[in-house]
This record gives sequence, structure tokens and C-alpha cells, in this order.
Amino acid sequence: MPKIIDLKIREKIYKSKKSQLSILKNFNLEVNAGEKIAIVGESGVGKSSLLNIIGLLDRNYDGEYTLFGSQTDHLLTDELARWRNQRIGFVLQESALIDSLTIEDNIKLPFLYAGSEKERSRQAEDFETLISAIEIRLILKKKPIECSGGEKARAVFARGIIMNPQLILADEPTASLDVENRERIVALLFRMNKEFNTTIITVTHDLEVANRHDRVIHLERSK
Amino acid sequence: MKIFRFFISKIFLRKAILGVAMILLLFMANYTTFTAARSVLSTLQGYQETKYINQEGVYIANLDPHSPIDMDKVDRSGTQAVYDYLSSNFNYAFYTDGFMVSVPNADDMEISLGYMNEAYYTLNQFELLQGTDLDLDFDYQIGGEIPVLIGKGLSKTYPVGATITVEESALGRPLTLRVQGVLKSNANHSNFYALSSKTYYNFSILVPVNEEFINHANIDLQWNGLMDITILETTREEAAELGTVIEDNLGAKFNFFSQQENYDYFNEYYVHSLKVMAAITLVLLAIITCFSIWNGLVSVRLMLKDFTINLLIGLSYSKLRKVFYGYFGILSFINLMVISVFTASNRYGCWIRKDTTFVTYGLFGLIGMDWLALLVVVLLDAVIGIVIVESMLRKIKKVPISLGVLQ
Repeated sequence: MPKIIDLKIREKIYKSKKSQLSILKNFNLEVNAGEKIAIVGESGVGKSSLLNIIGLLDRNYDGEYTLFGSQTDHLLTDELARWRNQRIGFVLQESALIDSLTIEDNIKLPFLYAGSEKERSRQAEDFETLISAIEIRLILKKKPIECSGGEKARAVFARGIIMNPQLILADEPTASLDVENRERIVALLFRMNKEFNTTIITVTHDLEVANRHDRVIHLERSK
Repeated sequence: MKIFRFFISKIFLRKAILGVAMILLLFMANYTTFTAARSVLSTLQGYQETKYINQEGVYIANLDPHSPIDMDKVDRSGTQAVYDYLSSNFNYAFYTDGFMVSVPNADDMEISLGYMNEAYYTLNQFELLQGTDLDLDFDYQIGGEIPVLIGKGLSKTYPVGATITVEESALGRPLTLRVQGVLKSNANHSNFYALSSKTYYNFSILVPVNEEFINHANIDLQWNGLMDITILETTREEAAELGTVIEDNLGAKFNFFSQQENYDYFNEYYVHSLKVMAAITLVLLAIITCFSIWNGLVSVRLMLKDFTINLLIGLSYSKLRKVFYGYFGILSFINLMVISVFTASNRYGCWIRKDTTFVTYGLFGLIGMDWLALLVVVLLDAVIGIVIVESMLRKIKKVPISLGVLQ
């Protein structure tokens, strides 16, 4: 399996006026395509920060990062945005939807930043397949406020995978869901992995969910 | 473009109150700036126009504001005596206007007659659209055709060479005027003392007057002509002597000031007001700009989730910056349109009210001074826009995307 992530972090520092916090000290991560990895650890240990670095949302750290075979520190911000649109899917908590848009508009939002008309029409076909698979056709015209937590979580999931990304980064995707909805989201994630060999990295507090991944990384507070 | 359309229709318009607040704030900033800029431009134009009389040996009459006038004592023989003295002792520039007559014309306007003598005409160098300058020899017979200059508005009905018959009140009999030239569009006369105040000639007839004309004119023309009489190639003592003659014959005290003294007076009173106005404008602008920035930052706070979700799934900061500038450009454009329409309707109002001496011609109703003031407003908006947009982006960049999306 080809290696898609090669990350070496010497240190990530958060500075405030009064204090300084160092996390992810001497943290290295290598991930092969198609792997399912769970990241666990207590609050404040740097799980979400790590996901932000992997997802190209944060480049303010000391270290080197090669993603999809390219050194990321050479990438321009427009290029980073294009990668976030087409190669990386973010699956977040169910509140990460734009309240003024319908569920359909929320899910289709990545199309706005996609390439050609031809590509978008192909994506429109993918959309039909996706909403059938995720069973959200009935809520497409609803606003997020009119949907249940489970429905919103599936909508966020749909938006994260609509561009058929090579890498899915899931940040506490099941945090506030009941067992039934949690199982549905986890099943959908793993189905993506199985059908498209998509690499999955999940940050979670839920050890039961974490243990179903290929590898579990325990983050500990830097000393 | 589709990204911009999306943000306008699906993000900004959904929180229209913020946009409306921004438009109102911008309108206040823009209208204040527009008004101040126009006053300054009009004043500068006034300086430019009156420069020609700011030379040594030139004194301009000014009725003493503290001297009471008993109009019963002002009679035709008194004014004539003053003009006799003027003619014998001085070279003087005579000008008076605002004598309204009815002359049929395509726009159905009342026409203002302005009277000027040769010295005034020579000093002023009127620019013409059509026709030829008046002959410098004003030695015509008032019983014959008098060559005149007319405003652009009259040229539709009276082209160069046409004759106009008017029931002229100063002489109290019909006069035949022959159009020799058409003044440039929006030709105007700035008040010597209040330089920003203008009288437009678009529906005026400028009648050259010679000594014979003045001597046959009624008291109104003679009296009004004295108000701005400008004596040339003289001394302060001789000018003071003229003041004594006027006081003896008319019982009115006239002072004579050089144009530099008029400027000094203007600088002391009007420029001080202009400075106060400019200072108030600047303070207002600073306050309004602060409010606009605050409004922008509130918008960011209220729409942070919308922006960061878009950043998460493929929007770059550079595209977001373009969206913000485009949005601000639209708000600014709406404001400019409102100010333009408001100004054009004011100008058009002069046409509706048949306000002869304020009627102007311009592109979409706006004259050059208005366009220049709008340009100042555009520059101001560009500065405010940069400050607001960059502040908004700074605020957005401060919040990690992963936190913003969960707001």
C-alpha cells in the first residue's frame, strides 16, 4: 500500500499573552492508503490540532509534512484549498452545517469550489447515489434546524464524502449521537473505506468506536 | 462569479440587516464627504474665476453693511451723478445681472439679463461654444441691433445670427439683440465675496453696455451696477474719493476693497467655516468608519460559521477576500447611485422650478464639480473598503477553521 501521510512534528506551540502550551512534541505519523486510524487521548492533548495539521488547516508548527507524495510547506493557499475540496473530506460534528442553507445545499456546497461543468455534472450523479445510500432524501429540502441530530450528522457526513476524497478526517463524528445513529455513521465511514479504499483518520473519545479501526493512536500530554 | 453569487444570495442577503446597516453608515460617510468636497471644489473654482481682478490698482465696491440706506434719498439724478463722476475719472468694470425678461424659448424658461461693459468683458475672457467674441468696440447705437452672448440653453431657439426682441426694463423700451456667440455650457459667475456661490448663465443673455446705455438706463440698473462696480488702474485714495461722491449723492456708504482684501475677508470668515466643516467632516468620517469596521466585525462574528465551513471545503482566503471586496463594492455602488440620483434630482429640480440662474447641463444631470466630488467619494470608499475588508479577514484568520465550523 502506498504511503499517503508522512508527518514529523517536532512541536506545536499555542501561545497566549500569559502562557505557552506545547503539544505533539516529537510526534511522527505514517499512514498508508486505505488504512483506518483512530486517534484517542484526553481532552487538550492535541487530537483536533493533529487533525487540523493533517487536513492542511494549520501549518503553524515545527515539522515536515508530506501528503499524497508532496511536501505541503511548498503549497500555496489556493492549492491547499483545492486539496481540501477534492482530496480531503472532513466529517465533523452534526452542528457543522450552514443554518441558512437547506440540507441539499449544504451537501452540495463542495461543488461550488469544484472544477469544470463536466465534472460537476458527474458529481450531480454521485449526489443521487449518495443520498440514496445515506437515506437522507426526505430531509433534502429542510433547513438544519428542522432536522434531528442523526439526520444532521448524516448530512455532514454526506458533505464530507461527496467529492469522493482519498482521505477522510473525522473529528468526533459521533460525539453527540445516540447508539443507533453512531452505528450508522461508523458503518458509512467504513463502507467508504471498503468500497473506495479511502483512508480514514478518526478522532474520538469513544474507545468502542476507536477499537474498530485498524490502528489506534493514543496521544499523551507532552512532558 | 458563481462563488460571489452564492455568497450574496445565500449568505449576505440572509442577514440583510447587516448589509443595510453598512449601507446607511457608508451613506452618511459618503454624503458628508460629497457635500464637503463639492463646497471645497466650488470655492477653488471661485478663486480661479476671480483671480483676474486680484491685481494692483483694482478696487471692488462693497456696500457697507453697517451703513443704513434711505432708499428715498436714492434717486436717478444721484446715480447718474455717480456714473458721470465714474466716467470722467475712472476706468471701471461694470456688471450686474438678474433682470428677468420673458423671451420665448424651447425650455420655456424666464431669461436673466446680465449687463457688462467693455472693461468687464475684457477682464473675463468668456469661453464660447459657438459664434465669435464680442467686438471690443462697444460703440453701438442702442436703437439698433445689439450684439450679445447667450447661454447654451437659449441657443436651441436662438442660434448664432438670430435676433431676439425683448421688452427691456432698464431702458423701458424694446431692444433688438443679435446673437453673436453662445457661451460654454454651465458658464457661471462666482460671487466676489462668497466664492462658492455661483450664478449660471445657461439661460442668460449677456448684454454689452456702453456709456450711452448706462446713461439711458433706469435707476435699478444704475444702482445695482454700483454694488459690484470694479474700478481699475486707480489708487486707494481715489477709490475713497469715489466713495465720498457716492455717499454725497446717494446717502449710502460704499467701501472699496482690493480682491486680495476680499480674499482675506473670505479667508477670515468663510474659510474658517470651511475648516470647521472639514474638521467636523473628518471627525464624522472617523466615527462612521469605526462604526463600519465594528459592523463588519459583527458580521464576521454572526457569519463566522458560514465562512469557515466554506473555507473548510475548498474556499481559499484569497477568494474570500475577493468576495468581500466585491460585496463592499456593491454596497458602495448602491450608495454612489443614491447620491448621484439625489444630486441629479436636485439639479433637475431647478429645471422643474424654472430656476433660471441655477439650471445646469451635465452627464446624467451631474456637472463636472459633482463628478469630481463623486470621485473623492469613490477614493474614500476604497480606503474604507480596504480597512473594513482587511479587518474582517484578520478576524476570520484568527479563528481556527476547525473551531469556527462548530460555532
